[in-house]
Amino acid sequence: MLRDEEIRKALEKPAKYGVDLDLSRYEFGEAEEFTEIDRDVSKRGMEVGVDLDKKESLSTFLHVDYSTVYKSVQRQFKGDLELMTIDEALKKYDWVRDLFWKLRDPCEDKYTAFTALNAKGGYFMRILENRKILIPIQACFLLFTQGIIQPVHNLIIAEPGSEVHILTGCTIHPRVTRGLHLGVTEIYVRRGAKLTYTMVHRWGPEFDVRSRTGILVEDRGIFISNYVMLGELRTFQSQPSARLIGSYSRTSMNNVVYLKGNSEMDLGGEVLLEGDGSRAEIILNSVAEDDAKITTRGRILGLANDVKGHLSCRGLMLSDRAEITTIPILESKNMNSELSHEAAIGKIAEDQLNYLVARGLSRDEAESLIVRGFLDVSKMQLPKPVEEGVRRTIELALKGF
Amino acid sequence: MLRIENLHVSIDGRLVLRGVDLEIGDGETHVLFGPNGSGKTSLVMSILGYPGYRVLSGRISFDGVDITDKPMDERVRMGIGVVFQNPPKIYGIRLKDLIKIISKSKMSGAEISGLMDRLNINSSLLNRYLNVGFSGGEIKRSEIAQVLTMKPKFVILDEPDSGVDLDNLQLIGRELAENLKDRSGLIITHHGYILNYVKPVKAHVMVNGVIVCNGEPETILNRIKESGYRWCERCYEMRRSERL
Repeated sequence: MLRDEEIRKALEKPAKYGVDLDLSRYEFGEAEEFTEIDRDVSKRGMEVGVDLDKKESLSTFLHVDYSTVYKSVQRQFKGDLELMTIDEALKKYDWVRDLFWKLRDPCEDKYTAFTALNAKGGYFMRILENRKILIPIQACFLLFTQGIIQPVHNLIIAEPGSEVHILTGCTIHPRVTRGLHLGVTEIYVRRGAKLTYTMVHRWGPEFDVRSRTGILVEDRGIFISNYVMLGELRTFQSQPSARLIGSYSRTSMNNVVYLKGNSEMDLGGEVLLEGDGSRAEIILNSVAEDDAKITTRGRILGLANDVKGHLSCRGLMLSDRAEITTIPILESKNMNSELSHEAAIGKIAEDQLNYLVARGLSRDEAESLIVRGFLDVSKMQLPKPVEEGVRRTIELALKGF
Repeated sequence: MLRIENLHVSIDGRLVLRGVDLEIGDGETHVLFGPNGSGKTSLVMSILGYPGYRVLSGRISFDGVDITDKPMDERVRMGIGVVFQNPPKIYGIRLKDLIKIISKSKMSGAEISGLMDRLNINSSLLNRYLNVGFSGGEIKRSEIAQVLTMKPKFVILDEPDSGVDLDNLQLIGRELAENLKDRSGLIITHHGYILNYVKPVKAHVMVNGVIVCNGEPETILNRIKESGYRWCERCYEMRRSERL
């Protein structure tokens, strides 16, 4: 097939952004047998907001290395939600193929090409028309075998008028140090649907991540994404891209990143405002400590009437050796579009510190409060237990601050 | 309570206070007038010990203790609270977070909600990031709420009535009047609107980094209203020639 040949060619193609990885450095094909969800695994789950001890009572999807080890739909939502592996969905419905690889191009770079040719698993979630799933669905991707590539492909469809919160936690078993997670996720938000997609990541100092997310939002649809990454990794690159084709559709992308060690991250967010009256907000907040290097890229394109977009890139430097680069891009191709951005990078501001000291805080307390403020997740409107989990993870990562 | 003697202060090598003398007794509230740029805010910052304000000579004592060389955090702990004129914006920290931290062991929950109600600080304002997008009135109400939560012995208010509409002024004025009954204070005001609510016992006028006259607040304010600060500048020139 010509297409396959084309994709195979793309296996050599570096990504537009981020450090180029040599895929032959990782193992692929065999995994160790995953035995059980032990205390290490459930602890890691909690750190990325997923409660695996409650897997029986909550809608849960757990994928380890190359296979799905657990999936279930919360009893009260049976009939509202379809949750299966992507392979099952492709077999069950012919139309799934029409939605597959439509929001990202398999030939985009070597990572999409590798996933297109080799994906092993991923979830399919479909929230049926007008159904409201009021308790989050939790999905967890865990890497258990040292040094492997984990390519997954997820597909989410929020049918018209539906509402859901999907929480995806990605992490590695504490014994794993090296490996590569490749995640392709395609998200369809149909007419009047509201999808909140929260992703919490926790990796290790030698671990690499490339994720490719494409989103399509129809009339009056709402897509909210929250991304939290704390701690260390080797390299990371991702640029979720949302097309707001529907009129009065909305999106809000909130990113909070705190990197330590030698981590190198290239994180972006892109929104195409194609529907009249559509709105976008992208927030990229980053904190860099030690030798961490962070690049944040935001891009909003105004292509229709009465669209509005706002982009905010803020970086906090906690070390002289750290580096932060922010690249905000606004593009307008319509006279009636209103786009704005704010960007700032700096250390903790003296006037803010002094202000808090004047209110009776010690200098240390003031510093720690300002850093925590940078990592504020309360705007994400996470469900309480999830927010508490994320806060605990932040506290863990901020030890010493 | 507060005693300042012959205070000379510079900031970035520029002399901003040139020999200030001021004494405020226990339980007294004083008012400080002065034209823009006369050094009023520099005096506030110097009393607080804000970094960057360098004392070249003179002395500040508070509650009988020489605080001239004490760092700001210590002075705050001793009971000095300042309502700033232009507080910085701080993203990520909500007004309610800070109030909660300040109130620790100082105020009960009921006491706090009473204070917030009286200052018309609702949950929507409490949930906003500090001073981010606050209106003039909101800044003053938030500042006053924070400082009163600290329960300071001595309150300094830097222009509590600037940029505030009449409704907010009344709210702030009444709350301050009530709270200044049992503590000492220094109010800086350009226009004097706040004096419709708070009645200080003594007024001072600052020109060019020195206090040029002291007296009864109403009399001095009326005089400034009639003749403007030009009248005070004359006193400054007189004092200068006396010294020479």
